[in-house]
Amino acid sequence: MTTPKTVTLDALTLGMELEEFVYGPLSREDFVRYAEASGDDNPIHQDEEYARSQGSPTVFAMGMLNAGYLAHAVSDWFGGPQHLRRYKVRFTTRVWAGDELICSGRIDSIEGGVVHVALEARRRGAGPDGLDLPEDEVALKGEAEIVLPE
Amino acid sequence: MAESEITFDLPVTRETVADFALAVGEDNRVFFDPEEARRQGFPDVVAPPTFTVTQIFCVPRDERERRLGANLDYGRVLHGEQEFVYNRLPVAGEVLTGTMRIAKDFTKEGKRGGSMRFVTYESVFTDADGAEVLRAYYTLIETSKDPGS
Repeated sequence: MTTPKTVTLDALTLGMELEEFVYGPLSREDFVRYAEASGDDNPIHQDEEYARSQGSPTVFAMGMLNAGYLAHAVSDWFGGPQHLRRYKVRFTTRVWAGDELICSGRIDSIEGGVVHVALEARRRGAGPDGLDLPEDEVALKGEAEIVLPE
Repeated sequence: MAESEITFDLPVTRETVADFALAVGEDNRVFFDPEEARRQGFPDVVAPPTFTVTQIFCVPRDERERRLGANLDYGRVLHGEQEFVYNRLPVAGEVLTGTMRIAKDFTKEGKRGGSMRFVTYESVFTDADGAEVLRAYYTLIETSKDPGS
């Protein structure tokens, strides 16, 4: 267990790149645990046969599991989750068992005490057989607004 | 006849917060340790930023479909976007009131002949005093039956 360090506004600069956080590799057990905790019981994330019947070679991560990891990174970058005012993500590709999720962020603007952050999470891994995926590609793009103590 | 909105209760408990936090790999004490949460000025442990997705326990997909009537074919549906706007994070021990409605529903013609339908569900969560805690926007994309060539 940890407590992130307090971050103040004067520690941030425009264009600053935040420390990359790498989570995973994700496993099917992570998908099952997230299904139980979140209530997302869509079998496409847990049941091989069902996933294939829906045209996917195998099960894949819930988008919100990936978004949960990215929000985790944002919380830790800025000293805790309570500083978030807005968090938005767009899903660009699926994330598979065996993939690592690499979360990165850049300070885009600081206006009237609100810090705007551009976010990205990439999947890195071989991906399922037969899909011939790139080893490293963007899976989520997003943005966050943060308000910090002075 | 579809309803214009669904109202539901979302209880926030230490157990559901801890389970959710573990499921997204969290290790920040503020999600697990009431003492630490109080030291930081919260009444109890804090829910992670994406915690309110657990609203699916309260209003399952079939019920949402039946009552709000978006008439989506889930064999062709992807989760396109998700957004949260926060006044504060939920804390364990409170019961949030959620109000869900369809905020947007439009179709875009694709470049190659197919079309995509975007449906956004908005959920507004308020606390026992009626004050807004956060709102969530859940955007689904339904791809067309005939994706074109």
